[in-house]
Amino acid sequence: MTAASSILLASFTTPMQIDTTPGSMLWLIPLMVGIAVVYKATKVHKIKAWPFTKETALLIGSIFVFVTVAALILHGVAWFVTEQLPSLTGGSAF
Amino acid sequence: MAQTWKDNHPLFLTIVGAAAWLVPGAGHFLLNEKRRAIVICVTVVLMFLVGLYVGSVGVIDPIGAKPWYAAQLMNSPAVFWLGRIGATGAYPVYGRANEIGQIYTSIAGLLNLLCIVNAVYMAHLRYVEEGQA
Repeated sequence: MTAASSILLASFTTPMQIDTTPGSMLWLIPLMVGIAVVYKATKVHKIKAWPFTKETALLIGSIFVFVTVAALILHGVAWFVTEQLPSLTGGSAF
Repeated sequence: MAQTWKDNHPLFLTIVGAAAWLVPGAGHFLLNEKRRAIVICVTVVLMFLVGLYVGSVGVIDPIGAKPWYAAQLMNSPAVFWLGRIGATGAYPVYGRANEIGQIYTSIAGLLNLLCIVNAVYMAHLRYVEEGQA
């Protein structure tokens, strides 16, 4: 490996320390922004600063609301199956 | 009227597609869509670099994570070079950092694939519209 490529790669050789916590799901927000920006960049007829920002923000908001609702529903289902169902069936849910 | 090289339709489409793969946004740049090209280039490159920073160069693994590698390759041919470094096993990465790094770099690649297809489609549409005018 050459010296130039070693210097270039130096910042990208050690992974970050990210714990497996609910907070790590926040890493999905920048990803969602990136997806919305690129998708809108391919869809709009002409890119003008304000309309593009407005449309992108609307798409980001829509995705965020949908993901939040889906997460709440799935959390509710998981809570019901693991916490409530065993007491209703008088044992393990499985 | 003198023919331009762009009149050679399939060749021009191939060049646009290849440019869009070589450098994210370059396909749109060739079509004189400079703003679109800048937005695409900045977003795709930033997402890819964030993925590499979070998970290290080890997230590009052509041996242990082939499906992810296929998506990552869509970013640029430069990923081949990064894949050779990742394949040495010198930069192991596990856990959530690996997941997030792979997701970011792969989604960046798939978004660039969308941009490649879009650039080629735009080039084709222009050719058809010019022909009708």
